Amino acid sequence: MEGLNAQEQRELQSRMEKKQMKEFMTMYSNMVQHCFDDCINDFTSKTLGSREEGCVMRCIDKRMKGSERIGNRFQEQNAAMAQSGALPGR
Amino acid sequence: MASLFGRRPQPSSAEKIAAAEAEIDLVSDMFNRLVQSCTKKCIPSDYRESDLNKGESVCLDRCVAKFFEVNVKVSEKMQGQAAAGGAGGGGMFGM
Repeated sequence: MEGLNAQEQRELQSRMEKKQMKEFMTMYSNMVQHCFDDCINDFTSKTLGSREEGCVMRCIDKRMKGSERIGNRFQEQNAAMAQSGALPGR
Repeated sequence: MASLFGRRPQPSSAEKIAAAEAEIDLVSDMFNRLVQSCTKKCIPSDYRESDLNKGESVCLDRCVAKFFEVNVKVSEKMQGQAAAGGAGGGGMFGM
């Protein structure tokens, strides 16, 4: 961030930490929502079957890996764009 | 955002923090939407394996690249429109 002094940076930092907590909670509930919707469709039993559980585990793994990969590409694109001087991230 | 259109002289501390925060919000919002769209488009909802396979990985990479390209197109178009027509599309950027 350009042009912020130490105190301003600290203020921004503390706001970012709160935001991160919130983001994490959102990510968590999205994960539950998606994996539940995609894996659990049978309500003849009240516990997860082994297929359902396996699906949920793979769902979490795959989605985590997916967003990690997207994150890497996002950073590369952002860096490239910052160099060429186009929109996001100034 | 202000950096795009030239800045007012000497913004206050609160203003500078708010501007930095808005910029971060913009980028993080964009990232969240990117993850949402590309996951939906590239990762089928039958989770057969826990790793991304080749096709899914390539799809995600291309999806991100295209998302950025669309962003640039939209921003060019809307800036052009804002410059030509004044108020019209310009309001979207909150300027």
